[in-house]
Amino acid sequence: MKLWNKKVAGATILTMSMLLGACNGTDKETTDTKDGDTSEKKVEIVYASGVDVTGATDKLIAAFEEKNPNITVKRQEMPADTGASHDQYVTTFSSQSAEIDVFDADVIWPAEFAQAQYALELDRFIEADGINMDDYFPGTVQSGNFNGRQYAMPKYTDAGLLFYRKDIVETPPKTWDELFDMASELKGKEGTEFGYLMQANQYEGLVCNAVEFIAAYGGQVVDENNEVVVNTPETVAGITKMVEFVNSDFVPSNILSFQETETNNAWVGGQSVFARNWPYMQSTSEDKEASKVAGNVGFAVLPSGDDTNAATLGGWMSMINRYSENQEAAWEFVKFMSGPEGQKISAVEGGRAPTIASLYEDEEVKEAAVLFSNEEFVATLQNAVPRPVSPIYPVISDIMQVELSKALAKDITPEEAAKNMQDKIVAAMAE
Amino acid sequence: MKFELSEKQLGYLMVAPALLLVIMITLWPVAQSFYNSLFDYRLNDPSRSERFVKSNVDLERYANDFFYLSRDLEGLAGQAPNQDVADAATKISKDIEAYHEKLLAMDGLSEQYEEVEGRLASFTAISDRELKYAEVDKDFASDYKDFLTSAEKEITTLSQNSEDEAFKTASANVAGAINSSNRAIIESNFIGLGNYSKYLQSERMWKALGNTMFFTVASVGVELVLGLLIALLINRVFMGRGLVRASVLIPWAIPTAVAAMMWAFLYDGQTGIVSHYFEQFGLIRDASVLLSTGTGGMFSVIFADVWKTTPYMALLLLAGLQTISGSLYEAAEVDGANKWQQFWKITLPMLKSAILVALLFRTLDAFRVFDLIFVLTGGGPANSTESISIYAYITLFSQQNFGAGSVLSVIVFACVAIISTLFIKFIGSDLFAGRSSR
Amino acid sequence: MNKRPGIWFYIFLVVFVFFVMFPFIWVFLTSIKPPGEIFNNFKWFTSNPSLESYENALTNRPLVRYMMNSFIISSLTTIIAIAFASIAAYALTRLPIKFKGLILGVILAASMFPQIAIISPIYNFITAVGLRNSYMGLVIPYITISLPLAIWILATFFQKIPWELEESAKLDGATPFQTFRKVIFPLAAPGVFTTGILVFIAAWNEYLFALTINTEDTWRTVPVGISFYQSQFTIPWGDISAATVIVTIPIVILVLIFQRRIVAGLTSGSVKE
Repeated sequence: MKLWNKKVAGATILTMSMLLGACNGTDKETTDTKDGDTSEKKVEIVYASGVDVTGATDKLIAAFEEKNPNITVKRQEMPADTGASHDQYVTTFSSQSAEIDVFDADVIWPAEFAQAQYALELDRFIEADGINMDDYFPGTVQSGNFNGRQYAMPKYTDAGLLFYRKDIVETPPKTWDELFDMASELKGKEGTEFGYLMQANQYEGLVCNAVEFIAAYGGQVVDENNEVVVNTPETVAGITKMVEFVNSDFVPSNILSFQETETNNAWVGGQSVFARNWPYMQSTSEDKEASKVAGNVGFAVLPSGDDTNAATLGGWMSMINRYSENQEAAWEFVKFMSGPEGQKISAVEGGRAPTIASLYEDEEVKEAAVLFSNEEFVATLQNAVPRPVSPIYPVISDIMQVELSKALAKDITPEEAAKNMQDKIVAAMAE
Repeated sequence: MKFELSEKQLGYLMVAPALLLVIMITLWPVAQSFYNSLFDYRLNDPSRSERFVKSNVDLERYANDFFYLSRDLEGLAGQAPNQDVADAATKISKDIEAYHEKLLAMDGLSEQYEEVEGRLASFTAISDRELKYAEVDKDFASDYKDFLTSAEKEITTLSQNSEDEAFKTASANVAGAINSSNRAIIESNFIGLGNYSKYLQSERMWKALGNTMFFTVASVGVELVLGLLIALLINRVFMGRGLVRASVLIPWAIPTAVAAMMWAFLYDGQTGIVSHYFEQFGLIRDASVLLSTGTGGMFSVIFADVWKTTPYMALLLLAGLQTISGSLYEAAEVDGANKWQQFWKITLPMLKSAILVALLFRTLDAFRVFDLIFVLTGGGPANSTESISIYAYITLFSQQNFGAGSVLSVIVFACVAIISTLFIKFIGSDLFAGRSSR
Repeated sequence: MNKRPGIWFYIFLVVFVFFVMFPFIWVFLTSIKPPGEIFNNFKWFTSNPSLESYENALTNRPLVRYMMNSFIISSLTTIIAIAFASIAAYALTRLPIKFKGLILGVILAASMFPQIAIISPIYNFITAVGLRNSYMGLVIPYITISLPLAIWILATFFQKIPWELEESAKLDGATPFQTFRKVIFPLAAPGVFTTGILVFIAAWNEYLFALTINTEDTWRTVPVGISFYQSQFTIPWGDISAATVIVTIPIVILVLIFQRRIVAGLTSGSVKE
């Protein structure tokens, strides 16, 4: 009985402290709004972006606040996983919340968010501030454009790269066939276990890898007239090559569970001769503490197929919440981040590839990463192949992931995969 | 009699807080989901982003688009490479004007439209539904939409046939604007059971349902047996019992989100210790099969779930064991019953309601499994581990199709409801009996 | 029944506990390895153990704050849920109210719907009442989620308690509430503490609501906080293992304290069949 009384007392104390906690919460909020109303029009905007371990985001905000003393930027961290943060944005924006003002968007989101009316069109700001969109890489601008209006400003870009071991390979292969032969031949040298690493797990990265194969053989998923053109001999050739790689004896037997992390771990562990990954792997490879291959890593553009060589466009954009109550301030921040000054900070501090061509002539940027002074790399970025720009991109991606995954597991043939993708994407677009 | 009545009232009063909370926080959203499932309701499509039983115009979007549209259409006629194209553009422009006027002529619409334009001019988003949407005549809406669809087609064809780059882009943009205006005119998206018939015929849904059933039966079955053994074990008196109890509970105290990441690390085909030992002991042919094949993936998910939730089962059954009086065993011992007989004749029957509750709640949870699969396999490879909750999640959040997602959720609900009813009917009728009788 | 267990029993016990704990042991061993040794080797013990991962885990993110948040949220949830659930379960098992089956069914129905499908409405509700980024913002949904389980378990326990005890209390002039507090509740202690542990850990483990509702770092809970150690393409295994070990210790202590209450003594001592 005593015990029970004690528990009741404990409960009361806890309940009280919780009520106090709640009161504190409201107190804080009222003072916040007071700040906003009184002193010379100080505004606070909330900027949502993914976890950043480089510290570049904080530097970016500091530089911006210094230039714009009446705007403070509050950072809201989003999950590192792109899919998880997409889903969180959907929850927030679909409730028409004004909580977030500015947010970072993966290149595949702008059309979807624009159509869903989550994002603000930026054309009037762009016109008013005389920003020349031709300064940016065209692919990145295109990704932020929907129905003729610009919804997102390019912030940094990414493109698939071929990494190779300089201590094993003299000249990197030019074609996928050459890569196939070299990987199979060189596997085992210098303690390697595998010839090639890629991302073949059923997730967004699978689409990125597939788009590279498909484009290399001259295929496309959706053409410039928004027609689905995936069921072509070119696409089938690309998928066939991809299936060959995945089922070869020089990739890890669990390649179907490989994402970027697995690729990077195996690569820095010195297990493979070649690997496909995003440019960030350049810096993790050179991290002497965790990497066994520091100093031995070279990079090249991805090989070509029958048609050309192609790298999938990645990277991030900045967008403004349609329901933001501080649109002007939000735009100032977006303009700064996506402008030359902001992008330079991202490049120098965070190693992120600028989307403004002229920045690659800047000495500090060139010095920031080996990649940035490499013309071939800059050309790759400039010509990177975007994934289909569509408001229902998540559906298209899902269809592609499922069908490609089945083809890689040899449940269906590449021809069937191409045909299924065609039928299902056409049906989804017509819905 | 009076005492009796107040006791009854007290009873209702005591049930009320829990019941109200449950109804408010979970059952109300559940009811909403049922309602959503009757609509073709998609957040990423403005013409279907609300649930409409009647035709409407999204004035905010319409006014905004119309401003650009009429401006650009006029400009387009001027840019046209030849007279035919210019005429076509002018005609579309005129027709749209006509429809527009007809729209504004409707009851009270022009004032509302003006108000919306005012807001747009000051760049404030409208969150007031009453202002944003205006109900319009059904036939008018469908006529206007048909017209816009054909106009979009026409302009797209003009754009595709044109050689002139500037005109090509300009006309493509106009086509985009027409498409956007078209989406501002909203027809009823009430489809009744349409979504259900679609998903009940979907191969993917059945596969996901099958995966979920398999997962539930396999994991809950193993957990029950193991959990019972563990409960009997830690119910004994021995040195260090507290420590053993605490350590047995550890798996369950590690958050699923973290545990799933941990298992992904342990199952990894290259560096995972568990897959490494499984291979060494010949349980699997190759360390890689755990996460990269369908069977391996399913096994991994079940194995991780058994590891994580058996303690939960064990704890529930352990608590149930406490209610069995020791004197029952003493009496049985006197009668000469051996341990095995005691287990079947005393432990199991007395544990019946505890087992029922444990089984029921584990089944409910297992059927809705999400986190573990999401982190471990993401539903792959080739959807072989996709549970119905994962499918619903993808539909709801990554594809923003709330109508379809709600249908999938309702299907989960229906399945779980049937299973629970069966459970209660077959094994647990005594839980309800005896309570109302007195 | 009360025979002293022999040596084989203890050997079995050690092996058994080892298997159950193995993943956790491995996580612990990983947490003291230097970063370069974490991948690509199956060695159990590192030759140069380091506490670097622990330092990173505590400094890179406010782990202690996460633990405090989780602890407060889970405790509040447990106390309130048990209070609500036990009075409801008492009324359902002991008081002459109608529609008992229906009420139990309705409550059970609340845990039949996929949680992912009710996140949006709950998010909107919590936003509307202004409880985002607060403890109560999570406590309210957590209580609701745990009520069905708590009510059902407690109902089975209350039902097992003989009527005679209650009758005699009533004869002594106790009100139903007093009877409940002084007779039923203590007798059902194993059930109450079991439910308490279950509810506490369920709240401690919850991820999706916590992720969506408390978006500010100072209000994050442990599971969400740990998931934020990773960045887009890298998972710092050392840090995550260390963080996992750190957050698990208090739970073990808690269970150690509370499991003492899950003993037969109280019930079987007073319950004579």
